[in-house]
Amino acid sequence: MKRDGPTALERFINGVLPENPVYRQLLGMCPTLAVTNGMKPAMTMAAATAFVLICANIIVSLIRGLLKPHLRILVFTLTIATFVTIADRFLAAYMYEMSKQLGPYVPLIIVNCLIISRCEICASKQSLGVAAADAVGMSLGFAAALASIATVREILGSGSWFGISVLPAAWPGWGIMVLPPGAFLTLVLLLGIAEWMSARRRRAPERQSETESECSLHGHAH
Amino acid sequence: MDTLTSLVLIFIGAALINNFVLHYFVGICPFLGVSRRVDTAFGMGCAVTFVISISGLLNWTVTYFVLRPGAPLPVWVWQAVGGDPAKQIDLSVLSYIIYIFVIASSVQFVEMYVRKFFPHLYRSFGVFLPLITTNCAILFGSLEIMKRLQDPTKLWGLHEALALTLGGGVGFTIAISLMAGIREELDMCDVPKPLKGAGVALIIAGIMAMAFMGFVGVDKGVHGVLSALLK
Amino acid sequence: MSDLSRQRGYLRDAWLVILLALVFGGGLAGVQSVLSDKIAENKRQETYSVIPELVSGADATKTVELLIEGRNGKAARVYKVTASDGTHKGWVLPADGQGFADRVEVLIGLDATLSTITGLYVLEQKETPGLGDYITGETFRSRFRGKPTDGSLTVVKSDPQADNEIRALTGATISSESVAAIVNAALANMKGPMQEHGASPSEDSGLAPTAPEGRGD
Repeated sequence: MKRDGPTALERFINGVLPENPVYRQLLGMCPTLAVTNGMKPAMTMAAATAFVLICANIIVSLIRGLLKPHLRILVFTLTIATFVTIADRFLAAYMYEMSKQLGPYVPLIIVNCLIISRCEICASKQSLGVAAADAVGMSLGFAAALASIATVREILGSGSWFGISVLPAAWPGWGIMVLPPGAFLTLVLLLGIAEWMSARRRRAPERQSETESECSLHGHAH
Repeated sequence: MDTLTSLVLIFIGAALINNFVLHYFVGICPFLGVSRRVDTAFGMGCAVTFVISISGLLNWTVTYFVLRPGAPLPVWVWQAVGGDPAKQIDLSVLSYIIYIFVIASSVQFVEMYVRKFFPHLYRSFGVFLPLITTNCAILFGSLEIMKRLQDPTKLWGLHEALALTLGGGVGFTIAISLMAGIREELDMCDVPKPLKGAGVALIIAGIMAMAFMGFVGVDKGVHGVLSALLK
Repeated sequence: MSDLSRQRGYLRDAWLVILLALVFGGGLAGVQSVLSDKIAENKRQETYSVIPELVSGADATKTVELLIEGRNGKAARVYKVTASDGTHKGWVLPADGQGFADRVEVLIGLDATLSTITGLYVLEQKETPGLGDYITGETFRSRFRGKPTDGSLTVVKSDPQADNEIRALTGATISSESVAAIVNAALANMKGPMQEHGASPSEDSGLAPTAPEGRGD
């Protein structure tokens, strides 16, 4: 609170691309790999994570003035676990099939490092608006990352997208893509592409005259 | 003897066939982060095995007696205060919060205990202990136990819970040690720049996951051998 | 800092945690009281909605849930299925075991005399997508329909010759064998006890001595 942190807009934009939780920070790897064999589970997971992240960030930001340094992790965990339980119960009540398919990965949101790191880095230091914007941005970034992996895996693995067939029925369906090894290999492929593109974009403005906004964002990401 | 066979099968299932890291993707963070050298990786694995077993023990106890549907303690309390005995008592909504606190506090106590009484052990893996609280594998072990305590006709005993968590920990140790061994060799290799670090580690993990898929079906053979041996 | 003031400090620090715990506990209790019936109903529905498919002519609302002690000495859950006019139509026996990749849970439909399998339903499985997960499909499940329960089922890779043979799914022999083994084990464990239970006249009221006490899920 003493120092001026990034503004709400910066936080929001940062979360989506420059500090994308999956591709740039390698946070929340468990759900990224485990539930991305189809778009439906991936998007349900992203929504559940977004709900928990936004609620936790808002609560933590509201009580940030009262937090004691040695008790803050305890408070974060308590908040996160409560909202995860709520999300889990809602899934079990209204989307029972999906809740069975996601199984233990819904409660495992509690130990998703993404949420606790946002509480620690942003929400416990900045105002409600900034914290909320940060949570929404990070959630969008997380959802985009899950969607990209799930798209590759579901289309190649089962020839469908969101359960709707998009490839001709003759498509054999690469079974490996929906299995655990496919998760690792898809992630590494997309991670490599993301790294390569950002390396190229970093080099480009150095050669030309420096465009201020681009660089300040990139400088922030590293 | 059936019990012994089922314990061995649970252990093998958790350690190899459905390896926590390579099949369920839990504990990926330390798997990528603490796998640069074999000795630290092995230390991390031992610490995880230690904590997962202790928290499995504690969480089985809490779930069995307090949290599962129809658990004895809340039913007793409910009837002691004169509640309607036909009403179903189910505290499982509190499970997640209690599990994470049991895990966090058991990590704290284990760290204090090991530092005081086993300084050698503390030097070898004590530094990893604080990191373990947010290791998904620990919570996952407790959640798997919880799943097996929901149906009152098929309750898992403590021995089964311990076989699962111990197997999970051993499986994690195997996976992370293998990974570290391969990564030590990779230091000498020319990896394409965008794939340096996490990228190449994930490729190895993918190949290891494929290799571990070969364990599928091993349980049938083990079952056959054990039942022949124990007859 | 003296001991007393330090203690007071701890208390002052902890009030927020205690307050939050109370607020969150209240919130969770609210969520639970609103949703628990719906969740229990979802779990029940999962089994009850497939009962008419497993035993023809069944009225799922008349189905009675029983606990019967199996040969292994453990009580297991079975469903006694009746038609809407109250005649005994058959049984549904839940069973589970290790599949190719993970646990497989099935429901076995049996006729009233427990001599024939009338249907099979896979509740939960994580078999290989595109191969083993076809065990959930009607093609595979229908291969169990009409099979006798007196011998154990065997899985064959060609068209079945004998009555107790099941044709395996192409490329998923182990998954097919696992399902057959789960069915065999469940029948071996439960068929005798269920027959004894069915023969005793007291069970017609649906309130067997072994019935679960106030449990409904």
